[in-house]
Amino acid sequence: MGNARKADAKLTKEEELLLQDFSRNVSTKSSALFYGNAFIVSVIPTWLFWRIHQMNPISSAALFIVMVLISTGLVAYAYKNVKFILKHKIAQKIEDGVSREILRSIGDDKKMSKKEKDERILWKKNEVADYEATTFSIFYNNALYLVLIVVVSFYVLRSFSPIVNYIFSVGSTAGLLALFSTSTK
Amino acid sequence: MVGKSLLNLAVFLFFSASLAWGDKCLSPKVQSKVYSTSESILSSQTVFVVEFGLTCKNNVENLNLYADLNGFSVPATRVEGSRGKYQVSFSDEHKKLPSGQYSVRIFDDDGFGELRKAQRLNEDTSGIASLFEVKISHSGASRSFIVQTEFVVALLGIVVWYLAFNAKSKLQA
Repeated sequence: MGNARKADAKLTKEEELLLQDFSRNVSTKSSALFYGNAFIVSVIPTWLFWRIHQMNPISSAALFIVMVLISTGLVAYAYKNVKFILKHKIAQKIEDGVSREILRSIGDDKKMSKKEKDERILWKKNEVADYEATTFSIFYNNALYLVLIVVVSFYVLRSFSPIVNYIFSVGSTAGLLALFSTSTK
Repeated sequence: MVGKSLLNLAVFLFFSASLAWGDKCLSPKVQSKVYSTSESILSSQTVFVVEFGLTCKNNVENLNLYADLNGFSVPATRVEGSRGKYQVSFSDEHKKLPSGQYSVRIFDDDGFGELRKAQRLNEDTSGIASLFEVKISHSGASRSFIVQTEFVVALLGIVVWYLAFNAKSKLQA
């Protein structure tokens, strides 16, 4: 990270960009993607408990809505955490490749200053790392959610009534997902 | 003389009637357990096993009971060492016992006599009063996997998650 090296007491423009791109805050677009995905994933167990565990969808509607909302929040939180952890690592791994590609595409443009080249590399690197981390985080958390919901609802809580089973399997699955996402390993 | 023999006959009839009446189970209370075959890959025939405990208001025990399922009759076996417990089983090819509701009718000696008589004369047996009925809801002997679907799903999920976890570990290494 060439630009960060010449750090002064005052933050440079590049450093601000860097900080912004590596902060925990996600853009509105990726936030919408996270919440949309988390909602879909949280709705799937509703079908499972309606059709397979034979819960009445109308009389349990209130419960379903509450649990879907709780689960959506927790899953989106897990997406964000995993994305944040992965983005750093991915950015480090792709740094060389991205800078090579950018330098090649710029070619022999003599007019462009080194600062501008670095900025372009930084921007591209962040974009690629952000995209990869977002999609991988969604995939990873969805896989984990699926495993946990199936194992908990069909094996751990199989002897409980469907309502108790639903509350605890969705609650514990989403809770565990959020908990695991806070680990950095 | 004639009067005395008539009286004797009346006394005899009264006692034999009361004896016969004593053998009848009055207002039977039944607790039943039913088993039916659920899968057809490992079993060559569909089997229904009905086990029931019978208590009568007049405390009659060790009755001879008979069970009838769609015109096929068998005697009920008394379960050794337990009071008022009986067991009946039926078996047939999977095709002949498809999924659905079945009703096993239990008869005592008198009812069974009537049933046999009606069967001999090819009459309708549905009108004959049984002691009680045991319902079997047979969900059918399925030809599906021996392994449960949720097990397959859980296994697949674990494999996918393991791959994802591996990829994540490599990224974070």
